[in-house]
Amino acid sequence: MSPTEATPVDMLMMCSFRAGPGLFGIDTTQIREVLGAITPQPVPLAPEYIEGVVPYRGNVLTTLSFRFLLGLEKRARASCVLVLDDEENEERFGLVVDEVQGVASVGRDSLEPNPATLDARSVALFDGTCRTPSGLMVRLDPQRLRPSRLAESGLFGSAQRGGKGEVR
Amino acid sequence: MDDLTNEFVAESQDGLERMELCLTELEKRPGDAELVSEIFRAVHTIKGATGFLGFTRLQALAHTGEGLLASLRDGRIAVSAELISGLLALMDGLRAILLLIETTGTEGERSSDDDAELLALLAKLKAGEAAPELDLRSNGDTPSRNPGADFRVAAPIPAEASPNQHRTLRIDVEVLNRMMNQVGELVLTRNHILQSSPAAENFSELARRLNNVTVELRQSVMQARMQPVGHVFGKFPRMIRDLGKTCGRQVRIEFEGQETGLDKGLLEAIRDPLTHAVRNAVDHGIEPPEERVKAGKPVEGVVRLRAFQRDGAVVIEVKDDGAGISTERVLAKAMERGLVTPEQAAAMTERETLQLIFVAGFSTAKEVTNVSGRGVGMDVVRANLERVGGNVEVESRLGLGTTVRMRVPLTLAIVSALVVRSGGQAFVLPQNSLVELVYVPMRDRKSAVEQVGSAELYRLRESLLPLVWLSRLLGLEAQDCAEPRGFYIAVVEAGGRRFGLVVDDLKAPEEIVVKPLSGVLREIGIFSGATVLGNGGLALILDVAALGTRAGVRPAAESAAELDGTIEPARGDAAQIELESAMVIYESWKRGSGEIGRGSRMAMPLSAVERIERVPLSAIEYADGRAVLQYGGDMLPLEDEDEVLTEAGKDSDAMATIVICLRPGAGAPRRVGMVVRRVLDVSPGTLLPEDPELCSAQIAMVKDRVTTMHRVIAAHPGPPTMAILLEVA
Repeated sequence: MSPTEATPVDMLMMCSFRAGPGLFGIDTTQIREVLGAITPQPVPLAPEYIEGVVPYRGNVLTTLSFRFLLGLEKRARASCVLVLDDEENEERFGLVVDEVQGVASVGRDSLEPNPATLDARSVALFDGTCRTPSGLMVRLDPQRLRPSRLAESGLFGSAQRGGKGEVR
Repeated sequence: MDDLTNEFVAESQDGLERMELCLTELEKRPGDAELVSEIFRAVHTIKGATGFLGFTRLQALAHTGEGLLASLRDGRIAVSAELISGLLALMDGLRAILLLIETTGTEGERSSDDDAELLALLAKLKAGEAAPELDLRSNGDTPSRNPGADFRVAAPIPAEASPNQHRTLRIDVEVLNRMMNQVGELVLTRNHILQSSPAAENFSELARRLNNVTVELRQSVMQARMQPVGHVFGKFPRMIRDLGKTCGRQVRIEFEGQETGLDKGLLEAIRDPLTHAVRNAVDHGIEPPEERVKAGKPVEGVVRLRAFQRDGAVVIEVKDDGAGISTERVLAKAMERGLVTPEQAAAMTERETLQLIFVAGFSTAKEVTNVSGRGVGMDVVRANLERVGGNVEVESRLGLGTTVRMRVPLTLAIVSALVVRSGGQAFVLPQNSLVELVYVPMRDRKSAVEQVGSAELYRLRESLLPLVWLSRLLGLEAQDCAEPRGFYIAVVEAGGRRFGLVVDDLKAPEEIVVKPLSGVLREIGIFSGATVLGNGGLALILDVAALGTRAGVRPAAESAAELDGTIEPARGDAAQIELESAMVIYESWKRGSGEIGRGSRMAMPLSAVERIERVPLSAIEYADGRAVLQYGGDMLPLEDEDEVLTEAGKDSDAMATIVICLRPGAGAPRRVGMVVRRVLDVSPGTLLPEDPELCSAQIAMVKDRVTTMHRVIAAHPGPPTMAILLEVA
């Protein structure tokens, strides 16, 4: 499976998934669980990058719409949810993607930083790229995707004020 | 650390906690032998166990302390402030060592862990020598040779940072036995069910039994987790004593509702915020004695802690009778810090202004003191409370005092709730905010909802209820227009607001387990949590008070009385206290006999107004020359001071605006309809003190304009405001 001849120490196991046309990967050690086809319950007035909430192990998990973050149309059907843990900040959240492809091992030496010409939104999300047999994969870092961090960055909009009850 | 040591530490800490309470009590009641015995026991228990556990340092300290206490018990020395301070220092010393044992397993051998000074102090006290240098006001800012002062500085650390206290919990053996019984019952029921099948005859009975056992078991577990909030209050007398000395204030602390139960987890969550609030009350709230005397208050300030349950939440108030918060200074500071722009500041209400103190980096203390005023106080309080889904607000009256009110929802609790549907989604309404449910069938849709301007109202018996469409408020696609059918009104009340929440459908009531939402979703401010429903789906829990605020529903009666309670305004200040109340403003051209000119504004208190009606002139009838209106099955006498009816003549197409209000009289207030030219506004106004020389009528300031109060209605104190709506003609 590995295109390079590096030793396993130099290899990263990446969970690869698709959102729109792009191929993305997250280090498997940072993924807690992958939930199959599931439709999050939408939350009215939430920031648009929030897909909704799903029940997860007795708790309520907030999920992000990765498609929205990439500037793609949201899909109205069941998708895969990656459960991500940010241990440092004790924040657990889900990432809604189109489909999870599998696990790819990637050589550390094939990692490259973000291109200098990348736009601000993408810089806030991406953590460099790497080559895989199925094409260029964008690496993601759960740290950067934390909902609270996205809210602080203000790049992706904030909670909506909603209509007043009587306005029609 | 082995189990034995663990248990010893936990037990000793419990003992020291009791000792702390007793010590502050002892200062008030020096002759109480029972208190001395209790303190003696705590120290004695520690000493007894240290011997075989091999903690020699702890043993030496406890031994010396015990000796001192024995002298006190036998009456060889008397209770004095120095003695109490010395004993408090002893307690801190013991605590510090216990903490060391708990965290490191040893009692410490470094040179800094030397108790010689403390031991010498205790010996001196025992010998009956006064220790005058124990003035706690020099609280260790300067390196002094003063033993008392040095130990005081060390004090706050062990009291707050002992991890063991927070991990163990004392449970009544009775409760534990009951739980065990119920678990046994649960196992038996499960066995029954496993051997049965859904087709079996007794299956429904088994299901019922399972339900009963679950309910009982849950209650027991909840009960075991409930702790009286008094546990947290316990350390405050000591803290107030020390703080008072440090800041040069005379302060007394009072408690109320100590027995109010709160979940163990939440109790820990409010510990720090509460400490902050109490510190602030002493340092910023209570004035120095000389200022209090000048202000005509008792020299001794009072900090009052009150805990009670309300609206399914536990409310804890920290109330002081100090200087209050100057909104002007708050605004000035907020602008200086760039927290608000001058334009924003100008538009802020007093209430909003006060809430600025919770913004990070805000502190109005003139100088930074080592007690509080580092600007990290109130925002931390708010953050801590919000983390457990609670909130905090502040009320203050300049010169009279400040109340910090913390609200901790029973987040961990299981609450009964009603599941409703709106815009195709399920939402949960907590049962405690629900007043009643009304179904409006399709055929009544048009007639039931009255349109007033952009607002919609529903007449519920005698009062008008503002309606809030949940789907519109949440920006959901309303389904009510597409398929014409009836709807439900959930009459809800929370945060002093009562309104009708319109939903598409009601589901069965359920007992729900409240799960907290992530920070981003909490920020929306309308959902207090989420829950997993019986069918496995998720539903968001609505925060009814926030919904009301968001929809712009006015509180039915401002909770201005909240601050009253114990802090009575000083008599002389009565005139200065603003008598602000909501008024109905209407246009009038005449008053009594005289013409007062077009466009004159008159007002009457909203509390006296029951309803405002628009009726066609043809509906007004005359009986014995007096105009009357049929209203709610009664004859309503109309008063036409402004001669509107006379001017309009018998033009039956015209409409008249009638303010239906209660007119005070000899007996019970009578309902009367005032015919007015047009209603201009409803707005808060301030009654000015009456001045017969200037003007014969009562005058009010409403939106910076002088307005004459209606001569009869103005004097009326008014019943509690009903849901009032007006129609601006």
